[in-house]
Amino acid sequence: MSHLGELLSAHLDGELSPAERRRVADHLEDCDRCREELDELASARSAVRSLPMVEVPASVLGLPDEVVVPLPRRKSFWVGAAAAAAAVFIVVASILAPDGTALTPQDLSDPFGARVSLDPGFTPTKVAQVRVATGDFAE
Amino acid sequence: MVETASDITWEDVARVYGRKIYNFAYRLTGNPDDAHDLVQEVLLRVRRGLPSYRPGSFEGWLWRITRNAFLDDVRRRKRRPTTALPDELDRTGLVSSPAPDEVLASIRLGEDVQKALLDLPYEFREAVVLCDIVGLSYDEIARAVEAPIGTVRSRIHRGRRMLRERLG
Repeated sequence: MSHLGELLSAHLDGELSPAERRRVADHLEDCDRCREELDELASARSAVRSLPMVEVPASVLGLPDEVVVPLPRRKSFWVGAAAAAAAVFIVVASILAPDGTALTPQDLSDPFGARVSLDPGFTPTKVAQVRVATGDFAE
Repeated sequence: MVETASDITWEDVARVYGRKIYNFAYRLTGNPDDAHDLVQEVLLRVRRGLPSYRPGSFEGWLWRITRNAFLDDVRRRKRRPTTALPDELDRTGLVSSPAPDEVLASIRLGEDVQKALLDLPYEFREAVVLCDIVGLSYDEIARAVEAPIGTVRSRIHRGRRMLRERLG
């Protein structure tokens, strides 16, 4: 009986074909040696996977430090309506502006609050959009 | 999946992949300064390369750039050996520049595993790191290292066996 060898690592990683999966399952039922090797490989795999991910500062990535704008406070109906009108205006203006930088919907719907970059390339249009999204402009 | 170059900017790559690129380099070298340098070099290459990126495997493209930048750096150091090569690095796993306490603590936590990783021959270390740290599939690793998928499977398996022997 030939043993499973590298099929065991691929089995742990979910990288087997259906035929290989059947072969591995059948073989493991009867082979103590391969079951033992599987445990050892799983332990090595888990040791590497449990290494902490080291954080990297934004400055190392060439990104500006980011400021998290607080989540919007509750506003009255009229403040909300004004914010909506201003948002429409700014979206239209950003489409018409020749060199405006487009924001994605994710920028404005970030559940942790919109992020305002200190990047000089971060245009006033973008900052205004973020302020509208957070209701910050009405204060 | 990224369909065209206009779908993504280098800043997106920095935000989404910067941490993974850093950890790839850090786990391969055990040296945070080298990891900093590599991240910056990779992002520079991404910035230059994005306009000519063609739809396909973005992960494969990005990690091929990352790997090539890493190997170029190793070759440069060989020609100008004033700093340690990956295999000659201080195996303590400790950093050479000041770092926040929590970073040092997390580094010490995995010190034995990091040492064992650094003992592996490069090809095996790279395959294990791309699989278990970066989280790429075998197919993505094969594209990144430009090797057949069977070779990738074998390297990951042998790398794990060697790690197991070293960790006892």
